[in-house]
Amino acid sequence: MILRRLPEVIGPVLLVLGAALLGLGVSTSLQTYFLDTLVKVSIVVALYVFIGNSGVLSFGHIAFVALGVWTAGVLTVPESQKNAIMPGLAHFLLHTNVGNIGSLALAAAVGLVFAFIVGLPLMRLSGLAAGIATFGVLEIVNNLLRYWQSVGPGLNAFSSVPQTTGIWQAAVAAMICIVVAYAYQRSRFGRQLRAAREDPAAASAAGISIYRQRLLAFTLSGALAGLAGGLYVHLLPIEVDSLYLDLTFITLAMLVVGGSGSLLGAVLGALAVSGLDSFLSASENGVDVLGLHLDLPTGTTVIVIGTLMAVVLVLRPSGLSGGRELALPRSRRLADLQKARAST
Amino acid sequence: MTVAFLNLSWPTFAEALSLGGIYALMAVGIGLVFGVLRLVNFAYGQLIMAGAYAIAYSSQWGWPTWGGIMLCFAVVLALSTAMDWLVFRPLRGHSPAVMLVATFAVAFLLQSIAVLAFGQLGTVASSIGPLNQPWDIGGVLIRKIAIVSIAIAAFCLVLLQLLLTRTSVGLHMRAAAMDFRTSRMLGVRANRVIGGAVLISGLLAAVSAFMLTARNPQVTPIFGLDETIVVLAGVVLGGLTRPISATLGGFTIGFASGILGGALPTDQSQYLPSFLFGAVILVLIIRPAGLFTRGDVAMERL
Amino acid sequence: MTTLALDRLSVRYSAVDAVRAVSLEVKPGEIVGLIGPNGAGKSSTLHAIMGAAPVVGGDIRLGGDSLVGRRSEDVARKGVALVPEGRRIFAELTVEENLRLGLAARRTTTNGDVLHDAFELFPILREFRRRNAGALSGGQQQQLAIARALVAEPDVLLLDEPSLGLAPRIVDVVFEALARIRERGLAVLLVEQRAQRTVALADRSHVLANGALRLTLGPDDAADTDRLIAAYMA
Repeated sequence: MILRRLPEVIGPVLLVLGAALLGLGVSTSLQTYFLDTLVKVSIVVALYVFIGNSGVLSFGHIAFVALGVWTAGVLTVPESQKNAIMPGLAHFLLHTNVGNIGSLALAAAVGLVFAFIVGLPLMRLSGLAAGIATFGVLEIVNNLLRYWQSVGPGLNAFSSVPQTTGIWQAAVAAMICIVVAYAYQRSRFGRQLRAAREDPAAASAAGISIYRQRLLAFTLSGALAGLAGGLYVHLLPIEVDSLYLDLTFITLAMLVVGGSGSLLGAVLGALAVSGLDSFLSASENGVDVLGLHLDLPTGTTVIVIGTLMAVVLVLRPSGLSGGRELALPRSRRLADLQKARAST
Repeated sequence: MTVAFLNLSWPTFAEALSLGGIYALMAVGIGLVFGVLRLVNFAYGQLIMAGAYAIAYSSQWGWPTWGGIMLCFAVVLALSTAMDWLVFRPLRGHSPAVMLVATFAVAFLLQSIAVLAFGQLGTVASSIGPLNQPWDIGGVLIRKIAIVSIAIAAFCLVLLQLLLTRTSVGLHMRAAAMDFRTSRMLGVRANRVIGGAVLISGLLAAVSAFMLTARNPQVTPIFGLDETIVVLAGVVLGGLTRPISATLGGFTIGFASGILGGALPTDQSQYLPSFLFGAVILVLIIRPAGLFTRGDVAMERL
Repeated sequence: MTTLALDRLSVRYSAVDAVRAVSLEVKPGEIVGLIGPNGAGKSSTLHAIMGAAPVVGGDIRLGGDSLVGRRSEDVARKGVALVPEGRRIFAELTVEENLRLGLAARRTTTNGDVLHDAFELFPILREFRRRNAGALSGGQQQQLAIARALVAEPDVLLLDEPSLGLAPRIVDVVFEALARIRERGLAVLLVEQRAQRTVALADRSHVLANGALRLTLGPDDAADTDRLIAAYMA
């Protein structure tokens, strides 16, 4: 049974692998875009784990990414530099340092714990209320991280963090996220949550605790988002305002365009939109493509992505993937056959 | 809290009142559209930004102040109508969450167009700068714009109240916000009601744009964004579903921001957004209908 | 005054056939009853006429015009008024405002007190004129809902279970009002679960079960309880 569904996970993994291999073959200056793309895949997969399976909107996941950034960043800045960029840092944090992998693990852990705490009250909400409440979470985290000097650099950028996120690390992390997302959605818990998404009344009647399943998905997605944050901080100097509305917008756009209903959609959306985004951003700085020199004005990127997102929402709300996973042709025919047999 | 009162002065009080008035108008603008479309327009701030740019550029071109204000109204109403046709109407019937994401996208879109067209740095609306000058009232210096905004806001709110309670259009709008389906079966024209709400919402955005620009003549692509977020919080706190509770919510948040912002020392007022949104989350969990509604308001699942 | 005709009307919600090829006619000055067990499709029929349910077959005609595919507000403005199930009055508006809402579908403009007739038919409403409609009792709200529909001066009046949740004495008041409404020449389609009273009042009563018309009863059948039960069970 599980073998037949393997394309669901292999497809996205191969896509990430492909992107990684491509990234290895380009010049160092272009590699940043690929790295950024791969980290975004992790973020969007994290978003998908919750939004895709529960059908509930969350505007707040970037808060977990931010917490991952803070955790991994603060614990890996060399001790000698800490005072320089984080003058108000708490004593405990000043003298604690972990290795690269340790920081990533801790980032995921912090994301997990925080998502759990936030989820406890919030998972009773759905629809618009959930959207607004999670937006509130984003606001609160952004506000706190900005001004609370004892936990991080506040308004300063994380500048002295060792840049350990390479193509392989980012790709492996993305693949881990994909595998985790796949394992979750195939598990009993994932399927219960999807059932609740389709028909809440029937699901409750069947004994499914919608609240508990949502909390589980939210917590898991918080962990993955935290991990992505850990990767992010080791990529480039990051400051608090790049972990706020712009990132929320672009990652949501990726999920929407790819199709929030499937894992394939999440990965496709992340790769496609990120690719487009990177290309347009590069063009804003002037780039040579196929012999043509492109120099687009600043801001074109968001206009294109924004328009694309709006168009998809209006014309094809299920996104590029149509909400469907990748399936082997044989298994699709089998499914059709079963359907036909059932309706007689 | 005692410290706050000790620091309270007439200028602070007037400023807080004026901010409350402006936020009240914005709140009604957002609340009216939500009432009839069940759509929270995240892009409301961009309407205000567009109006502000109209005033700024018209003053750069040497237009008289009234010309700038008329351009502001024209631009805001045009943009508001475009939003309605291109985004709101096609998405009617979708879940409110999808609509929120859509307006979020539109907000970003408009912001980027502004960056593209006007640059990041900002333009100054010099023609209404004079409103920033103070009036000397009994020895106390209060900014002209503070008094003017209070007056305009009060006038608009009274006008609006009359419209909603004394005219049939207003009655239809209120009924549609309560129960659209039944209203339509009684003959209430859906398109007219929605068009009316969008129009009034646009007018209020234009008025707010004027007043906000006068308070802060430096217009940038993110003009109005922070205010919209705060007003949104206020509307949710007050109660999304009824115009009166939305208005009260907007006013309260504006007034409180004005008082606290002026009276608290900086290191405490920094965390205001956290308290604000903490309160929003609490309200959504415990009393989703809002604080200013009678508790028995039947709350459809948001 | 015009005739309302349903011609093999079919209504389907996703996979469920709520109404199957129902045909009936309501002429001016008559009350036609539509009775049947819960879930039979009675409400769906009324909603379909008001343009609020998905029609997949057949036609709905008012006079000679088809109503299928029209928006709810347009159907109302053609002279069809609905008194919805559960009243659906606006609790936060005053009684007077609720009535004025009914004016939205009115086709003629009259000078003077347009609400005069409504207060004439249901005097209790005049007393509560300025009170919030939510303060009224169930029976009073039902009277308000009917008055609100009549304010539009419709040709056709549809009622969805008006006696639901009302004390017998109040049901008397409501049914008496319906008789007077019939005298005015309106075409009335009355959906009800109280079979006996409906059959007694109406010129003709159709029994709807599982979306299809089973039986037609006249006022004389009101006393024949066996026949009524058999019709429901069929």
